[in-house]
Amino acid sequence: MRELFPAKQVTGFVASLALTVIALLVYFLDMSFTVGMVVLLLTAFTQAGLQLVVFMHAGESPDSDSIYLNTYYGIFIALAIVFGSLLAMVWGY
Amino acid sequence: MSTEHSTPMEYSTETNALNIIGFWVFIGAEIALFATLFATYFIMEGRIADGPSGGQLFVISTLMIQTFVLLTSSFTIGLGVNAMRLGRKGATLTFLAITLVLGAGFVGVEIYEFYEYVHEGLSLQTSAFSAGLFTLLGTHGAHVSFGLFWGAGIIVQIVKHGFTPRTANKTFIFSLYWHFLDVVWIFIFSFVYLKGMM
Amino acid sequence: MEFFKQFAVPNPTPTIYLSMVAIGLTLIAVLAGITYFKKWGYLWSEWLTTVDHKRIGIMYLISALLMLFRGGVDALMMRAQTSMPGNELLSAAEYNEIFTTHGVVMIFFMAMAFITALMNFVVPLQIGARDVAFPRLNALSFWLYFMGAMLFNLSFVIGGSPSSGWTSYFPLAGNELSPHIGTNYYMIALQIAGLGTLITGINFIVTIFKMRAPGMKLMKMPLFTWSALITNLLITFAFPVLTVALAMGTMDRLFGTHFFTMDNGGMAMLWANFFWVWGHPEVYILVLPAFGIYSEVISTFSKRNLYGYTSMVVAIVVISTLAFLVWVHHFFTMGQGALVNSIFSITTMAIAIPTGIKIFNWLFTMWKGKIQFTVPMLYSLGFIPIFTIGGVTGVMLGIASADYQYHNTMFLVAHFHIVIIPGVVFAMLAGMTYWWPKMFGFMLNEKIGKWAFWNIAIGTCLAFFPMFISGLDGQARRMYTYSEVAGFGIWNLLSFFGALGLAMGFILIVFNVYYSARYATRDIGDDPWDARTLEWATRTPVPEYNFAVTPQVDSREPFWDSKYEGKTLFKEEIKDIHMPNNSGQPFIMAAFFFVAGFGLVFSLWPVVYVAAAGIAVLLFIRSFEQDDGRHIHEQEIRDTENDKRGETR
Repeated sequence: MRELFPAKQVTGFVASLALTVIALLVYFLDMSFTVGMVVLLLTAFTQAGLQLVVFMHAGESPDSDSIYLNTYYGIFIALAIVFGSLLAMVWGY
Repeated sequence: MSTEHSTPMEYSTETNALNIIGFWVFIGAEIALFATLFATYFIMEGRIADGPSGGQLFVISTLMIQTFVLLTSSFTIGLGVNAMRLGRKGATLTFLAITLVLGAGFVGVEIYEFYEYVHEGLSLQTSAFSAGLFTLLGTHGAHVSFGLFWGAGIIVQIVKHGFTPRTANKTFIFSLYWHFLDVVWIFIFSFVYLKGMM
Repeated sequence: MEFFKQFAVPNPTPTIYLSMVAIGLTLIAVLAGITYFKKWGYLWSEWLTTVDHKRIGIMYLISALLMLFRGGVDALMMRAQTSMPGNELLSAAEYNEIFTTHGVVMIFFMAMAFITALMNFVVPLQIGARDVAFPRLNALSFWLYFMGAMLFNLSFVIGGSPSSGWTSYFPLAGNELSPHIGTNYYMIALQIAGLGTLITGINFIVTIFKMRAPGMKLMKMPLFTWSALITNLLITFAFPVLTVALAMGTMDRLFGTHFFTMDNGGMAMLWANFFWVWGHPEVYILVLPAFGIYSEVISTFSKRNLYGYTSMVVAIVVISTLAFLVWVHHFFTMGQGALVNSIFSITTMAIAIPTGIKIFNWLFTMWKGKIQFTVPMLYSLGFIPIFTIGGVTGVMLGIASADYQYHNTMFLVAHFHIVIIPGVVFAMLAGMTYWWPKMFGFMLNEKIGKWAFWNIAIGTCLAFFPMFISGLDGQARRMYTYSEVAGFGIWNLLSFFGALGLAMGFILIVFNVYYSARYATRDIGDDPWDARTLEWATRTPVPEYNFAVTPQVDSREPFWDSKYEGKTLFKEEIKDIHMPNNSGQPFIMAAFFFVAGFGLVFSLWPVVYVAAAGIAVLLFIRSFEQDDGRHIHEQEIRDTENDKRGETR
């Protein structure tokens, strides 16, 4: 039975629950918007990285270099789309 | 893990290795797709016209249920892949089934939530905000729903053929898909709901 | 009767009725011809169900040429209409439809198909692979593209063409200002074709990453393969943006949402934003493969290896990131603040640097080379000066403050045609002529080819240089007519003559295909150009398995080294080869997409549901299928290899 619940996965799950609870504090505690956003940015990206490495086994494939490169490029594009569009349509308008 | 040093079955054939890296590239495309939906939502967030805003609608209880259910399902599909690598067919099927039940629960809560929104005067046509919100959540929900059918098909194939390079490959790729949907949800959870309720 | 009224064309003219009759007759003739010659079986088993990258490439090529003529006729009609002030050849409504379909057809269905055609045919051969990574998906890509193109072209005779420009800006493209279903065709046909393109992108990234011949490290890949890799990377990350934008546009039009409307908080400018987030990478998606072709052609016909290989690779990699950071320059005048415009102005000018590096590398490759003035080389030589003028005017447009003067004038139209015709069309024609012997087993006539080149090159300059002047004088684009006192008459008349020259060039190309197919010798060997890269190490015509034995690579120009340095490419013994089976599923699934798309255009929901169910069923069939492909037996390979003029390897 033990082998069905390896420590790596269980730790990952507990960590993701903990990060969720920290993120929820933004709602339950009275934080300023800026502090709240910083907390959310930190928890969300840590959580995403956790999923990528612990659960998605990104590092174990023989092509892990290509996979990481592809993912980094995807993140770069995502940030360019989101912040570029916000810059052009809202902040810098 | 015993599999650290040898190649797991899901990578075992040339086609399988191609499928896995191909799916990673597809996930890259999905990142761009969801980034565009998020960008739309952020730009539309304040454009509520005469309708309600996110802060007035979002409910912490359903959000916590949805998040917990989806995080747990991501954990169980991870356990499913682990069990598959140990060659434990029964355990793999059980974990897959739990994952799908949790996924169905998530979709159920989301449908209930949409129903509530419409009840409170936020339909798809209400405002730019409603269009952006429903499209972002709906696209994620549609992905999860598609995953339910996909996962069910994989369960049938494992029951029929056992673990072969083909079914192992499908199961692993399905797990990538499921974890990715979890990642997207984390961003929805943080930057749609919690940001909106702050 | 009421039901059928929705399918009527809103602005019927004799031309459209004539076209309807012509299309109907052609269709009947084609179907009757296939039946009479009993070719249905051949068509189905050899082409419609094929998963062979070479045949898919050829089908892309044929479709691209057909679309080139459709878009070309649109262009001729536009130039004819504006050739004289106050001309009444076309009405304003027709002119709107024609400039819309010209742009859409040329970009999505001609240029995209043309680069995909050459990538399909050449890339697996250049890297020494048997096929692409996912042959079945490759077929699906083609059929989705083809069905999307057909759906779009159907608008001409059923229901009416879109008329809000190829950019389809909202609010003009919204329900209030474009109440007719034409724009639905735009949204849905592009969605279907775009899905096919996205699948191509993923397929080729994996192919190039994973299926290179042993020894071909990334920095040993031919430049066309490098440019194909980066192009497909751009496709994979840019097309999802278009997918979302089109989906939102469709929802606005069909379900009454408020993404891009003028009320309830909608933001019409957001369409322009997302369109160009996709649209600028799209420019590089088109032009990078062209750069790759020029690199191959210039090196082959200068008899020298490419100058500055590493800097060429660095340049395209830099372009792949900068391409995503410049899109706002397409709408400097939309009202963003000076800060935003300045940022995007700087990135725009920065992207001229890697492009300039490439131009100098080509020039240095030719320096002291033994230049052979073949048709592909002529296109490459013509490209450099004309494209540079186009690029320099691009930097002018990139100056945000000055752009207020140029924006939406004929100056812009001149700029992007002067960039895209030498940058894409010349390259495609060069590539087509260059790889034609590998595709079809005979060469295109050089003399007719040169006549075609000069017509096209001079035609391009004559058609578009006058627009710089009339544009600076204030002629707006997309105006169907102008008054005589404006003084634009002479420039537009010159443009019209240029367009005729281009038309003449393309007619010559068609004639060349016919003439060469009929008279050219088939005895051309495997390497008629004395080329340098692996695709020329295959037999002509290429057998379905490409290489009897996987080549071993240890340099950038392995084939050249095997010819002149005495290196051995093929070291192993011939063994059985594993090949994928043909399948009808991609064609059938794409046909369901066509039906679903047609249903969506006219909001015929039962049709949509049935077709969607068909797609879902096919997905399940595919998932449960146990198809392990087949093997070509060793003896069969030996026979094929020996058949090619009795040579043995």
